[in-house]
Amino acid sequence: MIFNEIYSAYYNTVAKIISSILKGDGDEKSLSRIVCENAFGESILSVLPALKSQKWQLIKADGSTPIKQIPTMPLTLVQKQWLKAISLDPRMSLFGITLNGLEETDPLFTAEDYLIYDQYSDGDPYEDKQYQKHFQTILYALKHEKNLKIEMINRKGRLVYSRCVPKRLEYSEKDDKFRLVTCGCPFIRTINIARITKCKLYNGDTEISSPEPERKTETLTLKISDKRNTLERCMLHFAHFEKRAEKVKDHYLLHLCFSQDDERELVIRVLSFGPTVEVVAPEAFRTKMIEKLKSQKSCELL
Amino acid sequence: MSSYSELIKNFEKIRAYMREFYVYGFKSREEYDQKSARSYDDERRRIESWLGDYMSFIRTPEGKTTFISIDSRVSHHNPFYKALKAKSFTDGDITLHFILFDILHSPEVVLSLPELLEKLDEYLSEFEHPMVFDESTVRKKLKEYIAQGIIIAEKEGKRLFYRRADDLVLPDITDALSFYSEISPCGVVGSFLLDKQEQKRDYFSFKHHYITSAIDSNVLAMLFHAMHQKSAVTVTNLSRRSNEPRKNRIIPLRIFISVQSGRQHLLAYQPELNTIKSFRIDYLSDVKIEEPSPCFDELRARLDNMQGKMWGVTTKQNRHGEDHTEQVSFTIKVTENEEHIVQRLEREKRIGRIEQLDENTYRFTATIYDTSEMIPWIRTFICRITDLHFSNHSLENQFKKDIKAMYRMYGIEEVEA
Repeated sequence: MIFNEIYSAYYNTVAKIISSILKGDGDEKSLSRIVCENAFGESILSVLPALKSQKWQLIKADGSTPIKQIPTMPLTLVQKQWLKAISLDPRMSLFGITLNGLEETDPLFTAEDYLIYDQYSDGDPYEDKQYQKHFQTILYALKHEKNLKIEMINRKGRLVYSRCVPKRLEYSEKDDKFRLVTCGCPFIRTINIARITKCKLYNGDTEISSPEPERKTETLTLKISDKRNTLERCMLHFAHFEKRAEKVKDHYLLHLCFSQDDERELVIRVLSFGPTVEVVAPEAFRTKMIEKLKSQKSCELL
Repeated sequence: MSSYSELIKNFEKIRAYMREFYVYGFKSREEYDQKSARSYDDERRRIESWLGDYMSFIRTPEGKTTFISIDSRVSHHNPFYKALKAKSFTDGDITLHFILFDILHSPEVVLSLPELLEKLDEYLSEFEHPMVFDESTVRKKLKEYIAQGIIIAEKEGKRLFYRRADDLVLPDITDALSFYSEISPCGVVGSFLLDKQEQKRDYFSFKHHYITSAIDSNVLAMLFHAMHQKSAVTVTNLSRRSNEPRKNRIIPLRIFISVQSGRQHLLAYQPELNTIKSFRIDYLSDVKIEEPSPCFDELRARLDNMQGKMWGVTTKQNRHGEDHTEQVSFTIKVTENEEHIVQRLEREKRIGRIEQLDENTYRFTATIYDTSEMIPWIRTFICRITDLHFSNHSLENQFKKDIKAMYRMYGIEEVEA
């Protein structure tokens, strides 16, 4: 039902090619660019040749097309059902839009049909009007490349201010929280939306620098022994990192690239695997593991 | 001999390769022993064509290893969706598609099959060697599109007339699509919608973002449909560890999604065992929806009750529906400036309760089906666990042995001679 050619990159590419020809832009270079931008790495070898050779009878020998209208297709039932499903999600109110015309459509799924069972329970208050207003101001600023003036309560409970360039909204499914990634303010780079008390567009004269500082990353090397299905669990758990794995005799080495800001969280995640995963490098990371274990030893659990 | 194409007819073949390359990525070509070398080369080439920059290769003594490496925090759109946009089709399919929708360019154009065929011939007559579509081919295609909801058939007397479905007038939903296409079940459908948007905006990025489930979207959508109809399904179940696929007839009840491992499970009732158990969705294929079950609501209510004892996806009930549960309790110490640890306990516990024993000590207790599912979480409190009791003594002993093993692994305790 979802794996269907009507959603395919080829159909979309051909639709764009026909549109381009109808708009009078049917030269080889333009059409090749459409293929490269919309289809796959090797599609250039098949899409245009199939059209030119009239295997697909949509472009004539003279380069014109018998198609008269810009190609369009109505929304499919699954697309409508999916839209209905997301329209029922509480986070939808953040976008300030209402989807009309789906009253008769059954949702593809409802909150009863699935459960995210390991999401943290202190997620953001999506139904809070103030939160929604801040979110929409941020989205507006991102869209229109405006700077922001933000007042918020920091981790220590203090009221702090930031004049910043918003870069993107980062969402964590595990935390169920949105964070605004900014630049221009030397002390504050990431702002939890839920901590914001005031958020306005900044139209003042103070210039705010906009280049985003590079993320500092390191490579963590883990030695994994394949006991108790650790290999699979570990590979899945760390799947979202840029990584490389190798088999070395009776164990595996996993090298993953992580952001230094996330080291504390990552130490805990590695600890959760117990003795079947060992930190090999970097040394500072290994030292943190040792410190945790030394503290544990002092608890006299054993 | 069929020639290579970057498009595919059957998604199942490529699904396993994509998972291997992305999740594991240490196998050499020779280790993919289940498939022929030709098949491996074709599938690898296809994935490379779709995912390009994300594919990497290294040479090892065992041979060349192919793997996919994606930092999903940096990538705004799930690259795996591309695989679901690579369905093959015939020359007739694509030709017919664009001409049919050009003929039926607005919902006001209503035509019978003979009228459609006549117009179709007019379009094709402009070509040197026009394709010929017979009535049954066009009727079959229209039937497919009716099922997809994009063509409407209306009867007038004895004759059937066809028109395109009404367009839905949507506001600017690009931002909502960018967000939900990444975090919603079957998010690939949002990606299909994004493909039609003129404007591309990437204001969202995602942390802790697992993207592998994308390749299970088709199975997931079928399971949602079955649940919506309260129907049983037959599925093929093939785990990585077993060689033989098994057919199961089950009643799907709920999808359990992990945002800490990216795994998705189906909790379903298995009639022959009279039990509700979990099935990994990435192991399932070939979902066939059967007849509705009169017990669906009752079974789902049974699952609701069980969830208070589930840490993850494991259930333990006998044939008579009696629970087999275990008790877990552990105590942690926190110092003066460590309120965040107590907050961690509160927000991370899914079930169970927390009690403060004294100024610096907190105890967590729970009754659960499977203690082993909770152990990784308990280990995240290593450095402050002062007491621990499992009613499952062998797991308690194992937990303590593991901590000793970690002391040895990091040189905190001598390895015993």
